[in-house]
Amino acid sequence: MSTLSMQKIAGKGDSPSAVISSMLLRLGVVLVFDVFIIYVIANLIRLGYYTLSIPVIAVAIFVNVVLLIARLAPIRWMAIGISFMILFTIYPIFFTVWVAFTNYGDGHLLSKEVAITQILSQKFLPEAGKAYTWTAYRNDLGDYVLYLVDTTDGSVFLAREGETLTESAPGVEGVGELDANGIPIEIEGYTRLNVLAAAADPNLPEILFGDPENTIQIRSPSEAAELISLYEYDPELDAMVSNADGTVYRNLDGTFTSQTGRTVIPGFVATIGWTNFTNFFSSPALRGPLIRIIGWNFAFAILTVLTSFGLGLAIAIFFNDPDFPFKKLIRSLLLVPYTIPALITILIWRGMMNPELGVINRTLQNLIGFSPPWFTDQWWAKIAILIVNLWLSYPYFMLICSGALQSIPTELYQAAEVDGASPWQRFRRITLPLLLVAVGPLLIASFTFNFNNFNLIYLFIGGGPPIAGASTTAGHTDILISYVYNLAFSGGRGVNYGFASAITIIIFLVVGAITLYQFRYTNMWEEVSENV
Amino acid sequence: MNKKFLPLLAVLLIVSLILGACQPATPEATQAPRPTEDMAEPTEDMAEPTEDMAEPTEDMAEPTAGAVVPDATIRIWADDTRAAVLVGLADSFLATYNVELVVEEVSGIRDQFIIAAPQNEGPDIIVGAHDWIGSLIASGLLAPLDLGAKASEFTDLSLQGFTYSDGQLYGMPYATENLGFFYNTELISEAPETWAEAMEMGQELMDAGQVSYAMALAGAPTYDGFPVQTAFGGYVFGLNADGSWNPNDIGLNSEGEIAAMTFLREQIVLGRIPDSFDWDTAHTLFETGETAFLMAGPWALERIRASGVPYAVTSFPAAEPGGEPGAPFLGVQGFMVNAFSENILLAQAFLTEFVATHEVMQQLYLTGNRPSAFLSVLAATDDLDLAAMDVAGANAVLMPYIPEMGSVWGAWGSGVTLALTGELPVEDAMNDAVVQIQALIQGALAGMVNIPGSWQVAGAGCGSDWDPACPTSALTDNGDGTWSGTFSIPAGSYEYKAALDGSWAVNYGSDGLQDGPNYALELAADSSVTFTYDGDTKLVTVTIE
Repeated sequence: MSTLSMQKIAGKGDSPSAVISSMLLRLGVVLVFDVFIIYVIANLIRLGYYTLSIPVIAVAIFVNVVLLIARLAPIRWMAIGISFMILFTIYPIFFTVWVAFTNYGDGHLLSKEVAITQILSQKFLPEAGKAYTWTAYRNDLGDYVLYLVDTTDGSVFLAREGETLTESAPGVEGVGELDANGIPIEIEGYTRLNVLAAAADPNLPEILFGDPENTIQIRSPSEAAELISLYEYDPELDAMVSNADGTVYRNLDGTFTSQTGRTVIPGFVATIGWTNFTNFFSSPALRGPLIRIIGWNFAFAILTVLTSFGLGLAIAIFFNDPDFPFKKLIRSLLLVPYTIPALITILIWRGMMNPELGVINRTLQNLIGFSPPWFTDQWWAKIAILIVNLWLSYPYFMLICSGALQSIPTELYQAAEVDGASPWQRFRRITLPLLLVAVGPLLIASFTFNFNNFNLIYLFIGGGPPIAGASTTAGHTDILISYVYNLAFSGGRGVNYGFASAITIIIFLVVGAITLYQFRYTNMWEEVSENV
Repeated sequence: MNKKFLPLLAVLLIVSLILGACQPATPEATQAPRPTEDMAEPTEDMAEPTEDMAEPTEDMAEPTAGAVVPDATIRIWADDTRAAVLVGLADSFLATYNVELVVEEVSGIRDQFIIAAPQNEGPDIIVGAHDWIGSLIASGLLAPLDLGAKASEFTDLSLQGFTYSDGQLYGMPYATENLGFFYNTELISEAPETWAEAMEMGQELMDAGQVSYAMALAGAPTYDGFPVQTAFGGYVFGLNADGSWNPNDIGLNSEGEIAAMTFLREQIVLGRIPDSFDWDTAHTLFETGETAFLMAGPWALERIRASGVPYAVTSFPAAEPGGEPGAPFLGVQGFMVNAFSENILLAQAFLTEFVATHEVMQQLYLTGNRPSAFLSVLAATDDLDLAAMDVAGANAVLMPYIPEMGSVWGAWGSGVTLALTGELPVEDAMNDAVVQIQALIQGALAGMVNIPGSWQVAGAGCGSDWDPACPTSALTDNGDGTWSGTFSIPAGSYEYKAALDGSWAVNYGSDGLQDGPNYALELAADSSVTFTYDGDTKLVTVTIE
């Protein structure tokens, strides 16, 4: 019975030894994988990456289950893909959603625990406290003695850990002769260290010198002082209390804030609910040019798809004629824009359209006495962007249309010709519907891509020229993604990842809805193809 | 069949757990003994044998032969030019102090640093610009520095750049950078004294067919056109009495700024300045002799020299004869210490004892192509252009590092572009820009009037007390300059204030003054309380029912 079922797993007709060896091989793979992944997980947890360890654990369990349970054998082939999807797509999505509900950004980069530790380590010198310049001496056991010079009255002391300060003079307590700067060259049993040698010991700033009631700490290469902690943390109030003046700083959305609005830095990451989303929709500053930008965004994406598909298709039909001379050479040359990185193409076009030095503008100026102000007039700017994007994307459509045209059966055209259809009718009734079946989904993909075509807009023109009288900075060629990039990263008070994530989610919803709607149209095309 | 697999699976898991769990312990074990045990060893090689603390280099050089393991490591992130200099220092530093210097060449230091530092993976020291410190300090990533007596060896302005509003220094400067005024010496015999004179000179050359324009602007004239704006009295942020920037005083629609923009617009209309603004174009036009003047920084020196155009660098023209020359922005480059470093003291000592010396500063100057911030090196500047640029920056305005500056650039750029291209009248364009900046600074809650206090949780259902952004305790606009709201508050004694725009930045106390004392509210019984805020007197009146 068991041999039988084993055979089933391993495939029909394998010998029992082959079955066992394949099983052993699989167990070996699982073993190696588990050792590796548990090592990774243990390290992640040790280093404090708790959130990242969750998807890794999920992947580990998934791989084990798939490899060990026979029924799931077909999934094994997809296991690697699914694992990477969990790690690099699903986890970042969850992370983005989480960030959208926090104030993560400049000023709020640290976790609360780290921020509290950071705040508690802040020291201050009370008014009555004394400050000294210091020189360190160390004996063979690693104990330190500090030679302190009071910065106000110049009196000198020797300080040891946990012992009261003693006034110092040459000859007392083994203190040797003074050098030109008034510092003893040596202290008996101890060797003098220069600042850098002393500072190489990371424990030195932690040592509390002098009387336990009134300890002295080193705080910089030039100063040691009677420092005390600036804040105490009160866990019940979730507040910082100042030791300097007793002010209570309560936790207010990730910043310890006093009743008069003074804050303790640093702040920390705090969840702030829907604030990022409501800010986007409620702020009058952001609402202003939004409608206009969305309008241009759609126009830009649709026009790009139409023009580049139109040109690509026209060229493809042109070259579909088998008798065309130098067909291969010309077709290869037409593909060149597709092979050059878009980044470079965009910058080259930018240079060519430069109003003072660009080759296009100079030529036009010489020929017809007019050169379009590509970068300063809103309509010319929009035209320029469409031209550049047409250049960038027509070869793609030329390629796929060429392929799709080959797949349309020639009998259909012959039949149409017999029926007396004009070339336009043949194109309209045969070529286009059949082509759209194949190309439709790619048109949608192209639309979605161009809807978020940040590179082009940002590199070519930076969203300019600016819209006059807008309530917030925006340009005539700004699309949603470049506009919100400015808002989230360069328009505000530093980097604001929380706000940026919230906007990303909103854009995702918009684009997702459009795509979903468009796929319904592709269904319609599929029906067309069935009828053909 | 599944039954057979279960024990197998169990064994497998146990084995892999044991194997897997063993490993992570090792790195810790190797790390731990490093600092402490090394220190216990006799380390005479590090001890300072002579009396002179200021020049340890020669004294310390010989006894290091026995040193094998460095006592500590300092990691530095620097851009490519600075990294090259620092790498060159590593050997002598190791030999002298037995401390290893690891220099990593990083691009986008700031962006990487804000991710790495909180994870304890950042370097001990980063090299960067002074206007980073505002946001880095607010995020708790920088440790304060104390240069001690060395502070007197740096230029005042450069130290000021790294001094935060708490009065502490957060970076050690090594170079400064600002725009200088370039003119073509073949076309212009003597530098103009005023901007108007410069444009007249340009016009004459244009009439003679020698140039296409008097001057071209490198980018929308915000940073790149600042010397024109300051000459006429424009500014970005006004200063508080204590010298800190006041984000509520925006000078981009001030009289001086508008005068400057009107002047530039006139020049564009007259065809003396092109109406498109591009860094590359402006430089190329100057280098090919098509323009007579250029405002450019030290970063452009190399390409201007390579072009072979005869040029000189000088201070900026003024608005009127005898007036104050236009002031460029000043950027300061320096070293900053990571607050999460385990070697803060060592990093500080490295900077003050080793880097803040004439030799090292001289090397940084030689590769950096910027005027030094170190007085002795600056005095010995042998590059006349850099020296002239430093003179042009004598009255330079420190680039503000307060986070509000981030809200300025975009709107400022739009404003000047609209004004100079004639899309809008100059005044409207600049007023719009200021309104946009204010909206960004005040944030999404601009216009909100709130009564933060100890009553908010009990009376308005807020998440916390003293929250100026809580939407449920906000007052509604009555349209007559007053705002009011009615809340049922349980008996008790409370305190409150008035705060605007959903933040504490603007708040008024019981004396009607900014940051004034709290109001007190005593309720003997549960009551319905109406707060009314008067926008003129800034006072809150209360009616209890």
